[in-house]
Amino acid sequence: MARVLLADDRRAFEQLLRRYQGLVRAQLRRLLKGDHARADDLAQETFLLAWRKLDQFRGDARFSTWLHRIAYTCFLQARRKPSWPLDHCGGETGEQTAAPHAMDLHLDIESAMQRLSAAEQTVLLHCVQLGMSHSETSYVLAMPLGTVKTHAAQGKAKLRALLADWQDTGRKEQTS
Amino acid sequence: MSEREDDAVEALLRARFEGPVPDEGFCDDVMHRLPLRRRRHVWPLAVGLGTGAAVCWLSLQSVPLVRVGWRDWLSGEFSAPALTLLLVMAGISLLTLAWTIAEADDRRSDPRP
Repeated sequence: MARVLLADDRRAFEQLLRRYQGLVRAQLRRLLKGDHARADDLAQETFLLAWRKLDQFRGDARFSTWLHRIAYTCFLQARRKPSWPLDHCGGETGEQTAAPHAMDLHLDIESAMQRLSAAEQTVLLHCVQLGMSHSETSYVLAMPLGTVKTHAAQGKAKLRALLADWQDTGRKEQTS
Repeated sequence: MSEREDDAVEALLRARFEGPVPDEGFCDDVMHRLPLRRRRHVWPLAVGLGTGAAVCWLSLQSVPLVRVGWRDWLSGEFSAPALTLLLVMAGISLLTLAWTIAEADDRRSDPRP
C-alpha cells in the first residue's frame, strides 16, 4: 500500500487489485442480484476510482473496507441513473412469492432473503457473507452503527422465523 | 434469538455465498485502462501565494492610509489607519477561513471516498 502511494507503483497496485478484486466483484454481484456484466463494469469503475483517489486513503479503515465502500458508492450512484433497470432496485422481487414449502434449504434461504427489506439484505451481505464487523459495515454503507446492528438482528430474526415456518410446513406435508 | 440459532442462520448465509469471484482476465483489463496518475505539486500554490502577497504589498505601499497604518502598527500606536488595516486583514483572514471550511465540507460530503 505504502509503495503504491509513495512511488506511484502500478505493479504494487496490480497486486492489491489481484488480492481484492474477487470479493469486490462478489459484493457487487450480490448487490446487483446476479447481473455479472454490470457488476464487473462497476467493479472496474471502483478500481479506477481507487487508483485516482489513492492519496485520499487515510488508513482509518482497512484497504479492503475502503474499496468496498467505493464499490457500494458506485453501486448507489449507478442506481440513481434513469437508465437503471427496475428489477435491480432492491427490496422486494418476484421471488417473494416463491413457494414457502420448498424443501431445498439453499432455495429456502434464498427465498427468505428476498423477503427481507433491502437494508436488511445489504447489511447481512456485508456483516455475514463478506465477513465484515458491524463497524466496518457501518463505514462501507455510511450507515450509523446502531442502525447496522438493528438491521442485522432484525434480518436474522426474520430469516430464522421464515425458515422455521417453512420447515414446519415441509414436515407436515411429509407426514400427511 | 439464541446465539446458537443466530450461528445457524449465519452458517446458512455463508454457505449460500459464492465467495470471491475468479479473476478471468478482469485484472488485466483494469490494468490496461489504468490512467497515469497526476501528482499533486505544492510548489505552484506556494509560488502563487508568495507572488500575490508581494504584488499586493508593492501596489499598496504607495497608498498613504496603508503606509501610515503600517508605521503606527509597528510603533504600537493603534491609530485609525492602523485599526483600519487590522480590520481589513482580519476580514480577509475570516473570508479565507470560511472558504477553506466550505471547501473541506464539500470534499467530506462527496459520497465517493
